[in-house]
Amino acid sequence: MTPAVRAGRAVLRVFLVTWFLLPLVPLVLWAATETWTGATPLPQKWGAQGFTDAFADGGALAFLRSLALGCVVALLATPAGTVAARALTLRTVPRPRFVSALLIAPVVLPVFAVVMGLDVVLLRLHVPGELGIVLVLAVASLPYTTYLMRLAYSAYDFAFEDEARTLGASRRAVLWRVRLPLLAPGLAAAAFLAFLVGWSDYIVTLLIGGGRFVTLPVLVASAASGTGNEPTVAALSITALVPPFLALAAVGVLRRSLARPMSRLTARPTPGNAFHRALPTRGAAA
Amino acid sequence: MTPRTHTWSWRGTVAVAPAVLAVLFVICAGLGGTLLQSVGLMPLVGAPRLSFAGYLHAGDELLTATGLSLLIASASTLVAALVGLTSALVLVGSRSGKVLSGLVTASIPVPHLVGAASVGLLLADTGLVARWLGVPAQAWPSLVAGRWPTAVIFEYAWKESAFVALVVSVTLAMRLPDYHETAAVLGAGPWARLRHVSLPLAAPSLLAASAVAFVYTLGSYEVAWLLGAVYPEPLPVMSYRLFTSTDLTARPEAMAVAVTTAALSGAAALAALALLRRLAAWR
Repeated sequence: MTPAVRAGRAVLRVFLVTWFLLPLVPLVLWAATETWTGATPLPQKWGAQGFTDAFADGGALAFLRSLALGCVVALLATPAGTVAARALTLRTVPRPRFVSALLIAPVVLPVFAVVMGLDVVLLRLHVPGELGIVLVLAVASLPYTTYLMRLAYSAYDFAFEDEARTLGASRRAVLWRVRLPLLAPGLAAAAFLAFLVGWSDYIVTLLIGGGRFVTLPVLVASAASGTGNEPTVAALSITALVPPFLALAAVGVLRRSLARPMSRLTARPTPGNAFHRALPTRGAAA
Repeated sequence: MTPRTHTWSWRGTVAVAPAVLAVLFVICAGLGGTLLQSVGLMPLVGAPRLSFAGYLHAGDELLTATGLSLLIASASTLVAALVGLTSALVLVGSRSGKVLSGLVTASIPVPHLVGAASVGLLLADTGLVARWLGVPAQAWPSLVAGRWPTAVIFEYAWKESAFVALVVSVTLAMRLPDYHETAAVLGAGPWARLRHVSLPLAAPSLLAASAVAFVYTLGSYEVAWLLGAVYPEPLPVMSYRLFTSTDLTARPEAMAVAVTTAALSGAAALAALALLRRLAAWR
């Protein structure tokens, strides 16, 4: 590699690191600022006033509401996406192409356009606002959970389940001791993305909740649209980053800790295809 | 790992039912409701009557908003695709990219609203960059809420570039090492490897990720609402303003704008799908 190429690569790397890092720097600085006037490069006085104000604005309650919303959406969309992905992988679904396309469709549709029409229908059906929000966000996460679980199932060996069944394991034991541990990395990633959809949502909460269901993004938006309260905006925003970052780290740790025993497992000769084709109970076990 | 090939069964039908029914209900009732309200067949008050007044009323403003929405989505997707692809190539090409890969991964779960709030604090006339460069507020170009949606495009380009980088680097990491070795053994230099191996391998996932980013940007509300000018406004912002207007006759107009956005998104998705098919056929 010539020195020019090496220098070019170093410049490129610095640019990319700056590109991804710079947009979040203001949050860190402003969240720790008490006073910062004029064109000085750093604040005159540091402090945690932003967090105090964020707390006074009802930040704690909004935080818990967003947390609950993210968890409920993940708890609905992950199992629904997983069983759908399993059925699509096993091809036990009528019209599989239509079902696949339908479950991906929410990614393509502008959510605000759907929710504006849905609002009236939900009102006429007397569906409570919170339920409507959860339903729409679960539907919005289904493409991600279904897609990730189809990926997980495409690397999954169903022969392990048959093996366990022939060794006398009950359906429940197969689910808890074979299927879920093998699918855990995919499940964690799917649940993480579904949680993010619920946690980050602003427009669905705004349109269906009509401003009465105050989540953390609603507080961030109302603070950010005002002026002169930069520390509060930054404190609320940093608070909104903590659960996603913690969840991301948790998913990473889980995937890494599972990757080792799993690779040992899959590196071993799997319950062989030849052996299994010869097994008459195979269809009956499914 | 061949899955068992069954024909359809009740178990399979029951398994997909919750997901399928929820999606069908939300899409049919949602888009149906939007469409019916846009042509006056589902009025909040009074008798339903077919009318295209919503579309005609929105008229010129709808055209301006469509143009602005397409500009924001195209510009941010283009930058995101370029930066994302470059990042993916850098990430896959070297083993020491820990910092960069950490930053890319960390950018993914940042909510767009938080990203927009932060970009506002970065690029506004009293923002971080202006303070660091010592430029007084009056002399600073209006990147936020100015004539051109610079800050809006920057926010989307930044967030979506992380998405593109992740999707493309995952695809490349799975397939590139073998191909590269073969190409190197056959005497291909770095440029030839980039042009004839890396780029063709990255093309399908790059196209798919860019299409998802484009469609998302087209239908997203909060970034343009926070960082954009009052006028002109992109489609989602215009639609929401009309939707929340105290004037009830603005409802069909709001719905007409929403229908236009949905139609544009659908068309963009179909075009991307057709392109992907051609790529697959060509390969």
